Amino acid sequence: MDDCHAKTDDGLNAPSSRTAVQDLPARTPLVALIGPPNSGKSTLFNRLTGLRQKVANYPGVTVEKHVGRARLPDEREVDIVDLPGVHGFSARTLDEKITRDVLEGRMDGLRSPDALILIVDSTRLESQLMLVEPVLELKLPTLLVLNMADELEVRGGKVDDEALVRRLGVQVARTTARTGLGVEAVTSFLSDVTVRESGGQEISLRNIPLGVPLPMMDAFAARRRHVGEVVEEAGFVPPGPSAVSERLDSLFLHRVWGPLIFLAVVLVVFQSIFTWAVPLMDGVEFLIAGSGEWLAVTLPESWFRSLLIDGVWAGVGSVLVFLPQILVLFLFLGVLEDSGYMARAAIIADRMMYRVGLQGRAFLPLLSGYACAVPAILAARTVDDERDRLATIFVTPFMTCSARLPVYVLLIAAFIPQEPLLGRFLGQRAAVLLGLYGLGIVAAVGTAYLLKRTLLRAKPTSFLMELPPYRIPALRSIGLRLLDRSRIFLRRAGRIIFTVAIVLWVLTQFPRTEGGAPHIDDSALGRIGQVIEPAIAPLGFDWRIGVGLVTSLAAREVIIGTLGTIYGVEDATDDSIVLQDVLRRDLTTASAIALMVFFAFALQCMSTVAVMHRETAGWKWPILQFSYMLVLAYGGAYVAVRVFGG
Amino acid sequence: MLRLILIRLASEAALGLFVDTTVQLTQFAEHSWVPAVEDLRLGDVPLRHTVELVHIDLPIDQAEPLLERGVLPGCRICPVRMSPGGDPIVSVDGSLLAIRRETADCLCVRLLAQLQDVG
Repeated sequence: MDDCHAKTDDGLNAPSSRTAVQDLPARTPLVALIGPPNSGKSTLFNRLTGLRQKVANYPGVTVEKHVGRARLPDEREVDIVDLPGVHGFSARTLDEKITRDVLEGRMDGLRSPDALILIVDSTRLESQLMLVEPVLELKLPTLLVLNMADELEVRGGKVDDEALVRRLGVQVARTTARTGLGVEAVTSFLSDVTVRESGGQEISLRNIPLGVPLPMMDAFAARRRHVGEVVEEAGFVPPGPSAVSERLDSLFLHRVWGPLIFLAVVLVVFQSIFTWAVPLMDGVEFLIAGSGEWLAVTLPESWFRSLLIDGVWAGVGSVLVFLPQILVLFLFLGVLEDSGYMARAAIIADRMMYRVGLQGRAFLPLLSGYACAVPAILAARTVDDERDRLATIFVTPFMTCSARLPVYVLLIAAFIPQEPLLGRFLGQRAAVLLGLYGLGIVAAVGTAYLLKRTLLRAKPTSFLMELPPYRIPALRSIGLRLLDRSRIFLRRAGRIIFTVAIVLWVLTQFPRTEGGAPHIDDSALGRIGQVIEPAIAPLGFDWRIGVGLVTSLAAREVIIGTLGTIYGVEDATDDSIVLQDVLRRDLTTASAIALMVFFAFALQCMSTVAVMHRETAGWKWPILQFSYMLVLAYGGAYVAVRVFGG
Repeated sequence: MLRLILIRLASEAALGLFVDTTVQLTQFAEHSWVPAVEDLRLGDVPLRHTVELVHIDLPIDQAEPLLERGVLPGCRICPVRMSPGGDPIVSVDGSLLAIRRETADCLCVRLLAQLQDVG
């Protein structure tokens, strides 16, 4: 697979100027895949390219660039770029701007396309064809794919493909991308695509003048009239309403059942993160620990072994552990999204979110935040309004991610007695845990409310959500997406953790005493803890907790291992009795609660900071977020220690 | 249900007449029995009644997503369902769109006479 990536690389990312591209012998033709959201675009893309695809970001922005290579029956190859789903080409949203730049050949690192595939959901031909007119103006060889042909026929819809060919002057193919039916027609179109000799002729999409109300309205009206004529000439008979979709909607959007089912779905997703993913996580942990031990035995005693095992292995392992959880979460989200339920969930959530200042699409990233903020912040790309997206990713780290859980579990087990609070149903321990989750939600809601009234104040935007018909998700598509997510997660998070792990390790190794590593108290790390001790003393934390807080900046759960090292407890985990005992010696219950409150609020996660930096294209937001959360954490912990200590 | 709407329409029409007679009269001439009410908004339209969009009372940047999906003056819209939060879900050109009721209240519509018997 690496081999084929390398090949894709020279074809696509090497020279960005057009002349340089032309100098290459036998260039691979590039075909752009365009279509509105929910038209089955990515499913077709996956059908055509399979595993031969490469995901990256477009330069300087957070929109993902999917490029893949299709192998034709005659062994020739064609590159396909899967553009974001759009309804138009005004540069109002980032997706639309990217699409326009790629089509006009103005995107750095991507040559201008040689042909186009416009894919539409044939059951909703009228609204979907709004794209056809501007696309035809590009004057490129174009294939119009009428997708979801099976659904059109089943529901009694009709359209004359030949008439569309005549009227629009493009090739037309019918497909059911989900099952792969009709894809060979697309392949045969691809085999006719040749590299276009760009003789200096500029291609451009007709710019719709922005900010001039009347002409724009007219332009759209003209476009709609044109579509009306086309579908009439093609004898388009809209399919009857989907009985299944209607029945499901009357259940899922029912006044009473709708919200209940919504809650049930949220609970199932939670359940999947916290219980079903656990055996897998234990498995990964076992593998990392096992391989670490094997390395320890195999390698000769040296500083390198220490760096590799205590630094790299432990650090990267602490991230790898979350991979199963993230995969399980994204499997669920993928199924929910592709089946069409996610759009309904977003509508149900929108009312709640709107009151806070967010919107329905923010629901998915916030839910993902309970597993890990990193993929959640990436998922926030679906929030189309930029201010809403910023507000969403700003509050996402308040969601109780799974890295906080081991810390909570350790401290609760050590300090909170297992006594009933509300009869048999709710014990004190469970209540504290629930309280901490609640604290996160309150902080998120309060912060979003605050943000939308200060930094991100804007007129309320019009939330518009298209409800696609319910569909059975294609496992192949979901599988490929999971692969994608894991790659992104490992690459982004792995790099940071790798670096921080090495830095932390170095800090524990110096200054050297008698040629060996110093005792943790005397190490650079220990001294840092002592330096910050006065600052955290009001919270009832000593320098040991201070060191833990410093190391947990890398990742929250690292504090457990650090405390284990400081107290000299072998095999420190969240259920270590010994560690609980020594902690009780140095911390009061009030300080322990303060520590948990601190963890509930503070942004102790370098991966999140790094992703924030990437997703906001700058340091302003991550720095603001880090400081804000630190202040809140300190303040919260101070209040907690006063309240519970008094 | 229908009776309630008609009463509402009539009262609104009366108000409208009082304010601006000329506009109302021309509208009356076009649509024989249903008084076109200038301020009938999509948010007021009961379920399963098809209406025609007359005017979008939104700044252009907020209207654009609607326009791109074919929600243009002259198009037919039919509210088919209410979300649990009370926001309308409408059918336009065979697509289902969920819009906030705040947005729906900015879409000026008129009832289509020939479709009055439906529902």
